[in-house]
Amino acid sequence: MDSLITAAALALAGGDPLGALDRVALREDPPALALRGIAMAQLGDLDRAKALLRRAARGFGPKEAVARARCVVAEAEIALVSRDLGWPAKALDAARTTLEKHGDRLNAAHAGHLKVRRLLLIGRLDEAEDVLAGLDPMPLPPASRAAHELAVAGIAMRRLKTKPARRALEWARHAARRAGIPGLVAEVESAFLALDTPAARLIAGGGQRPLLLEDVEALLASPAMVVDTFRYVVRQQQTTVSLATRPVLFALARALAEAWPGDVSRATLIAQAFGGRHADESHRARLRVEIGRLRAELRGLADIGATSQGFALSPRLARGVMVLARPIEERHATVLAFLADGESWATSALALALGTGQRSVQRALEQLGEAGKVQSFGHGRARRWMTPPVAGFTTTLLLPAPLPSG
Amino acid sequence: MKQSAAEILREYGPFPGVERVHGVSFDGNNVWFASGEKLNAFDPENGQALRSIDVAAHAGTAYDGQHFFQLANERIQKIDPDTGQVLATIPAPGGGGDSGLTWAEGTLWVGQYRERKIHQIDPETGTILRTIESNRFVTGVTWVDGELWHATWEGDQSDLRRVDPQSGKVLEKLDMPAGMGVSGLESDGGDRLYCGSTSAGVVRAVRRPR
Repeated sequence: MDSLITAAALALAGGDPLGALDRVALREDPPALALRGIAMAQLGDLDRAKALLRRAARGFGPKEAVARARCVVAEAEIALVSRDLGWPAKALDAARTTLEKHGDRLNAAHAGHLKVRRLLLIGRLDEAEDVLAGLDPMPLPPASRAAHELAVAGIAMRRLKTKPARRALEWARHAARRAGIPGLVAEVESAFLALDTPAARLIAGGGQRPLLLEDVEALLASPAMVVDTFRYVVRQQQTTVSLATRPVLFALARALAEAWPGDVSRATLIAQAFGGRHADESHRARLRVEIGRLRAELRGLADIGATSQGFALSPRLARGVMVLARPIEERHATVLAFLADGESWATSALALALGTGQRSVQRALEQLGEAGKVQSFGHGRARRWMTPPVAGFTTTLLLPAPLPSG
Repeated sequence: MKQSAAEILREYGPFPGVERVHGVSFDGNNVWFASGEKLNAFDPENGQALRSIDVAAHAGTAYDGQHFFQLANERIQKIDPDTGQVLATIPAPGGGGDSGLTWAEGTLWVGQYRERKIHQIDPETGTILRTIESNRFVTGVTWVDGELWHATWEGDQSDLRRVDPQSGKVLEKLDMPAGMGVSGLESDGGDRLYCGSTSAGVVRAVRRPR
């Protein structure tokens, strides 16, 4: 490398992007453009950064594949942080392969983490987990290590595995402090906060109390029968009955579970399941039909017995019946229930699953989006919706080292 | 043109706190190298790190028997080896795009990296006396026994080449193993060429063919 590029890179590494720009501001050769791009990204001018990195990548010669790959990685990171998920994931894969082939393991790992973060963001947990499993965090410098552990924690939290999540966050906290990047430390702390903030509400025996994520994990592993309003299922350990597409049956199951071991009057059931205030004969007939359907659905888990007032649940094996609810009940809960799986959904798929029109789903999603409860990416027919990742997604730029290393 | 694989005799370092080497020089006893914010000396007999001078050292280094010349930003600094004081500066011919530096017979020779050029300049004023062209990116430059050698580094391939100082024609070429980039280059006046690494804090000794 030449004198000013070295001087600029040293300034960048020392956290002085302005000092770096000062040295290469007027130079148009590819290494200078790349350094200017990374400095601009650090200064928050992401649009200009992207343009500079793109020009740098184009300018590098055929023998400078590594330098070009680093520009692609930096550009991908900027796109990711600005939530522009339309950039070509294939280019990142190719850059990662080039870096690996030329022994730049550090930047190759960085590219791998970007891929994981993108998959996490678009709700492809299985793939994210696969890529992450192929990355060895041990030789990584502190900042990359922190990003790695945040991703591990993010997936674990999605999967309701709180112990591994906590362990990963401890590592992330340690690494972020060693890296000395305040933004990264703050991200780890907010992920910890998510672990220590009630994630759900338990309704049982007429009372209710908030649950942490690990309480939810323990509850789902317990022998209790749980009516889960997050996913619209009734479950007991390994057995799961999904009522996601049957809102009436789910409402009945929930009402019965909340009253357990007591019974629920016909009038209450009708009001809660059908929304009618007065129970007339036709409602009663319909209730009998729906209870019969619910009975069939829950066959393996519980029986529904008739009482003088109405109906009562009697679980076959479970010693308790509980309702797992959101901390605050909200509108469009059914839409959120589908998105709670952490995967990404198309509007049309949600409409199909919910049995309603695309228009009303669209309206619900827009309202939820304004409240920050769901996020979307892509445009037009390619648009997908999901709930924001709980953690594991750093928004701090940890750009690749622009100069040869290792 | 003779072409062969570079024979690496020894590797010095990695030296603590040194991420990569930007320039290499030899004062008759010890090898000196630039590491960004410092000039560092080591004993080529035992590889022991000796002392260092705190001075901006971003690229090539040269020694005229009394002073060091050191590329930093877009200038060449003349440095007192005892006090570390910068005695004078002249503009570098490449305006900061310079990489290698060596001293020979009263003039300085400077490699201009991406321009693939080597300039001979007046050490007092920086005036360009002559320019020869290479067909590879030029990093280190050194003179030994009337031979002009320069190192190239393009992508992940480097070689050391002896060129005609008039025409720039390549007379001999030593290929470095893939991935072993050469930044600074300096001869010890005998059969060794010291090569700074582009990717690690090490200096390698390569046999100079005779």
